[in-house]
Amino acid sequence: MNPDLPQFTAAEHRGRFGWLDVVILAGLFGLLWSVLHFGEGMLVHFDEKAMAPLETGVWSIPYYAGRTLLRMWIAFGCSLIFTFSVGYAAAKSRVARSFILPAIDVLQSVPVLGFLSATVTGFMALFPGSLLGVECASIFAIFTGQVWNMTFGFYHSMVTIPSDLQEAATTFGLNRWQRFSTLEVPSSMHSLLWNSMMSFGGGWFFVAQSEAISVMNKSIKLPGLGSYMASAVERGDNTGAFWAVVAMLVVIVASDQFVWRPLIAWADKFKMELTEASQAPRSWVYELLRGAYVFEWLAENLVHPVTERLRIFTHKLTPAPPFKRRSGPDLAQVAGVLLGGAFALWVGYHAFTGLLSAIETVRRGVSLETLGKVAGLGLLTMLRVLAMTVLATLIWTPIGVWIGFKPSVARIAQPLAQIAASFPVNMTFPIVVGLFVAWRIPMNWGSIFLIAMGTQWYLLFNVIAGAMAIPNDLKDVARTYGLRGWALWRTLILPAIFPFWVTGACTAAGGAWNASIVAEWATWGDTTLKADGLGAFIAEVTQRGDKPLIICSIAMMSLFVVATNQLLWRRLYALAERRFRLD
Amino acid sequence: MAKSTAPLPPAAPPKTPPVIAELRNVTKSFVVAGGSEMKVLDQIDLAVHEGELLALLGQSGSGKSTILRCLTGLTQPTIGRVLCYGQPLDGINPHASIVFQTFALYPWLTVEQNVAVGLMSKHMSRADRDVAVEKAIELIGLSNYHAAYPREISGGMRQRVGIARALVSAPEILCLDEAFSALDVLTAENLRHEMISLWHKKDTSLKSIFMVTHNIEEAVEMATRICILFPRPGRLGLVLENNLPYPRDSKSPEFQNLVRTIHETITTLTLPDLPPEPAPVSGAPISRARNRMESIPYVPVGQILGLLSILRDTPDVTNIYDISDEIGKEFGETIGIVKAAEILEMVDTPKNDVRLTDLGQRFLSADRIGRRQIFNDQIHNLRIFHIIIEYLKLQDEVEADQLLKDIASALPYDNPEKILQTMVAWGRYAGIMDFNANTRTVFVLKDEEEEQP
Repeated sequence: MNPDLPQFTAAEHRGRFGWLDVVILAGLFGLLWSVLHFGEGMLVHFDEKAMAPLETGVWSIPYYAGRTLLRMWIAFGCSLIFTFSVGYAAAKSRVARSFILPAIDVLQSVPVLGFLSATVTGFMALFPGSLLGVECASIFAIFTGQVWNMTFGFYHSMVTIPSDLQEAATTFGLNRWQRFSTLEVPSSMHSLLWNSMMSFGGGWFFVAQSEAISVMNKSIKLPGLGSYMASAVERGDNTGAFWAVVAMLVVIVASDQFVWRPLIAWADKFKMELTEASQAPRSWVYELLRGAYVFEWLAENLVHPVTERLRIFTHKLTPAPPFKRRSGPDLAQVAGVLLGGAFALWVGYHAFTGLLSAIETVRRGVSLETLGKVAGLGLLTMLRVLAMTVLATLIWTPIGVWIGFKPSVARIAQPLAQIAASFPVNMTFPIVVGLFVAWRIPMNWGSIFLIAMGTQWYLLFNVIAGAMAIPNDLKDVARTYGLRGWALWRTLILPAIFPFWVTGACTAAGGAWNASIVAEWATWGDTTLKADGLGAFIAEVTQRGDKPLIICSIAMMSLFVVATNQLLWRRLYALAERRFRLD
Repeated sequence: MAKSTAPLPPAAPPKTPPVIAELRNVTKSFVVAGGSEMKVLDQIDLAVHEGELLALLGQSGSGKSTILRCLTGLTQPTIGRVLCYGQPLDGINPHASIVFQTFALYPWLTVEQNVAVGLMSKHMSRADRDVAVEKAIELIGLSNYHAAYPREISGGMRQRVGIARALVSAPEILCLDEAFSALDVLTAENLRHEMISLWHKKDTSLKSIFMVTHNIEEAVEMATRICILFPRPGRLGLVLENNLPYPRDSKSPEFQNLVRTIHETITTLTLPDLPPEPAPVSGAPISRARNRMESIPYVPVGQILGLLSILRDTPDVTNIYDISDEIGKEFGETIGIVKAAEILEMVDTPKNDVRLTDLGQRFLSADRIGRRQIFNDQIHNLRIFHIIIEYLKLQDEVEADQLLKDIASALPYDNPEKILQTMVAWGRYAGIMDFNANTRTVFVLKDEEEEQP
């Protein structure tokens, strides 16, 4: 009587362990051991007066790579926790939302690197005599680089859950935990993972930068790939620098292949549409892991009992049906509101007093002329950012479209562009600056190139994605009517890739502001090249430890970023959404 | 009030079975664009009795889904009460369960896990839960599909999962929210039969089915009692007992009679044979009193033109039901198109017939510019259009938000966004106005007739 053929995905219940499981288990224990091993190094004694110099041998690179990787994952874990709690609060409570959304909007415009000096001294005071303080500062820098984007993404997918799925959850009486775990997290899983992958990729830049910092006239080096590279360049050790770059690439590709690709392939089932995707994302690691029995075993013996306990526990917290609409607010809610309110008050108080003292410091320490000068420098850096965006657009749009129209090329080129965007090019700045010195290229122009080195890739892979997304029927129409050359670009290609270009250009420009801090002021051996710009200014005053000027220059840069967001990118986004949406 | 008789015991004297859940004097308003309130339900009294299969019939936008959401506790009435076994409903109705039009399955859960969602709020052990899920899956014919994901199975099977999920918690009332309208004809027919036999079965806790539909045949085929809901604002028109024995034959004269009765009721209430309102005198102030303002159906111009062509080309099709068949649209939609043509005076509707008027004939034989002129004149006869026309006399453009506010206060039971959309569409065809989506303004269309060949 069933006309429908059963075509369910048959799960093979092999029910026994194989060699694959042995390999995976070994891998898991290896992972655990490395976390402990590298974690140990974070807790060692630290004295800024007598720092042990980094080991210079090439064979110490794997250890440093592990330290860097661990830092990245700790920061990512913190970002994830922050994303879930703050994003959830913003989606659920109107009051919380009215605070959180504007706050995040401003915070994501603040140049993270400018804050490094303040956070390092703060965290070092928190853990006196331990390396943990510096570690925390580095992790915090990565965290602030990636968290806002993730939180926004999670919030957005939480509030766009289709209403029928929400109603189903309500009518079957799911409690908060059940709603969170069966509806809210799964339906945002897909976007959460993509956002995480992008943010994680952006994090490499910050980890490389924060490992070797000079603050208040002190130079601090955390054991890691970024600092290894820095010291290799200082020594003029080209082999070491080369292997550090290779190690960085290996670590990035490995994170991509062993973590993100499998996760993306797994998360394909969380897509909203009920039709089967023609081309599901694939990952060889995921295919391999799916064949292993060990996960099935773990699910049966570890995950299920835990979730069952959790289920019973949450049942105790929620009343059994029939559900009563609360006559008065229930205890958990009152507690939640009180706790949240107290926390918000605490944060608000500190933000407020901090702001007051910052204003006071600036008022006393910075004259109006200096302020004008800082604004002028900001204008210069803005010109540089714009120049980078325009140049990168002119160069990469035709190439990206060409790649996007050839699926076989795009399949290879897109991940490559993504990896290029992840690679912390700031590691290689000293070498490039060496070339500038040799060829006598003025830093005022050269810094544009340095900024572009890291950020242009965002434009490239977004344009590729846009060109790939052009529906075939639209291309066929263009071919039928013989559209070619400029006519083809004007009527089809440019409008179709515009929304993607806006995304790419906005990301690139945002990254460029941060990059300007390291790109406008670079050292090669004894030579220091400096461009006129706000980035160089921030780098300079940070190193000098001039507090009023630090505050004032960072605020100025935030102001510039917020202003360009509001005046330019917001409008372009709205235009793209209104006029050039393909659906 | 309305009585329901179970179809099986024929000789027993009709007595009213006990009420499970009911709406008492329920009114519901929503806040719409511009901040004004739109009343979607007006003083509804409706009870679901034990053992009945109650169908609520109405066009889309008549508020029938809102009634279902009030009854299940998903939304609360603005005025009035919802009772369940005589007790005021507090929160989600524990005795009712919903099958959704869109299935509302979680794509990341398997069939089995989706069904288990129906039991999540119950404090039961995992073993008990598995037994209940298995029973529901078997009952609804989903065995062998346990491990499948929703995207891997057909629409009909997906809706079976939706039904199993609703049944697994052993509800007394099963609420079907247009449950078959997203399915193809054959699958829907098959599922309808299964729902009836499920309701007949006495070994489940299920006592009554409350279904919401816009499909007249579906209601007559399934229900023991049919309530017709009229829109703007939603109010109950007619309540019909349906004692035809199951299985019902849609070709039988009794069945056809019932369908015809419902058709006629809807037709007379929607297209009353009244003298038309006098046209506004040019120069005289337009009364904006709400009783003088007539709404317009949300119908695009192309469909009105199509109706007129069909009336001209097939002169033997005059009856509104035949027209409905001819154009292949739901009766409710057809009646909206006819109504639109009628307020433009292109057709006349004596009883159930639809006839082209002289104006309609003239319109059809006119060329493009002539048609535009006639349409233009007719639009000027509609009071609601004068809201826009008055503004455009004074200024070149007017903001949509302002218009939405005016429309909302003139037509409190209509969706102002949809009315404005329809008015702009008609006005565009008439060549008098257009809408700029970037600035959200309605503006005067400049006369370009002379320039065109």
